[in-house]
Amino acid sequence: MGSKHRIQITVNQEEYDLLVYPDRTLLDLLRYDLGFTGTKEGCDEGDCGACTVIVNGKVVTSCLVLAVEVDGAAITTIEGLHQGDELHPIQQAFVDSGAVQCGFCTPGMILTTKALLDEIPSPSEEEIKHYLEGNLCRCTGYTKILDAVNIAIQQLK
Amino acid sequence: MKRFDYLRPGNMEDAIAALQANDEPSLLAGGTDLLIGMKTRTVKPKCLIDLKGIPGIDGIVYDNGFKIGALTTIRDIEVSTLIRQKIPALSKAAETLGSIQIRNRATIGGNLCHGSPAADMATVLLAMNCEVTVASDKGEKTIGLDRFFTGPNQTVIGKHEILSQIIIPEKTEQFKGVYLKHGPRKAMDIGIVNIAILLDADFKSGLCNQVMIALGAVAPTPIRAKKAEALLTGKELKPDLIHKAAEAASSEAKPITDFRATAGYRKDLVKSLVAKGIQQILGS
Repeated sequence: MGSKHRIQITVNQEEYDLLVYPDRTLLDLLRYDLGFTGTKEGCDEGDCGACTVIVNGKVVTSCLVLAVEVDGAAITTIEGLHQGDELHPIQQAFVDSGAVQCGFCTPGMILTTKALLDEIPSPSEEEIKHYLEGNLCRCTGYTKILDAVNIAIQQLK
Repeated sequence: MKRFDYLRPGNMEDAIAALQANDEPSLLAGGTDLLIGMKTRTVKPKCLIDLKGIPGIDGIVYDNGFKIGALTTIRDIEVSTLIRQKIPALSKAAETLGSIQIRNRATIGGNLCHGSPAADMATVLLAMNCEVTVASDKGEKTIGLDRFFTGPNQTVIGKHEILSQIIIPEKTEQFKGVYLKHGPRKAMDIGIVNIAILLDADFKSGLCNQVMIALGAVAPTPIRAKKAEALLTGKELKPDLIHKAAEAASSEAKPITDFRATAGYRKDLVKSLVAKGIQQILGS
């Protein structure tokens, strides 16, 4: 029971041809098989958003997705945002506004912000809060994170 | 998680055949409930049948009412401008479910078939007098959602059947609706009490033509507050009548005490939310 399946995926624009067991989550595939450890494991049940990645343009909690389900998909992790030595404007905004404290929620927070701004380039305060509601931060009190999102909105205009 | 086989059938016939051919299978839609159950080992399927390979069962079609494919994500429902325009209570319920990450995966069919008494889609759809289409090797049949839920995490869906579509009657658009979800936090939580109210009234005279009130998280399944509905139908919606109807709805609720709230608090909430909901519709 549970033999391996072949999947072909793109992670951060690089193609992978893999054999995976059906019980391998996308989170574990990314972290342990492919080494994208920027994707964090928090609650492991979809509540905290630390494991957020972008699959075909949509944010998902990778702990609640099986690797076999994403055959053919294009995935973006936090490692896929920078261009050479340049941080992505959203990453830079998080640095500049002090939105990073312990850093554990940061990859998920930044990827959700990326999906938000790809979908709604000039979101309202309400839209930002609604979109980021599934990413928990226990350090910042969210104020600096909202600042970072607002800086990023200006930078990306 | 226990090891399991994974199948991704390309059509409904193959999916039903896979249900019949495999020992202890589970259907996989968005997986946002199922995978948690598998991680905590409350469900231990030997085989997962992924429905996402079946064409034509995700999508929103408007044709004399809405036909929503079972695999339509909650996010697709949330952002549908047609749904927001014609039946906004459904959009409201969709946007309160989980987080964006969950809504991007979770499906309307999965939310119904999981059978949680607190399911957001279940409560709002119950108020809309929906029907669902169920596929089996004998073809398709249509069941009213009022006969769908049989107990906590239990539905009428048989071992070899698959929910394929949700049908929302065109008449629903005549109603003004609200969806109220009460809980300690707005996001990523299940409601302590969910309430959906659809009201068709003459808003000048305040005469109630028809009303549907569905209550979630206060009984083994989502329920309709039939006594409250009967009290209001054909009557003028005066404050004392609304108060009586809210009390009736509260008496119809049969909640349990759990870590979220006590049964008594839930009953009180039903009373205040039903009154608040009706007043909100009248004031809108």
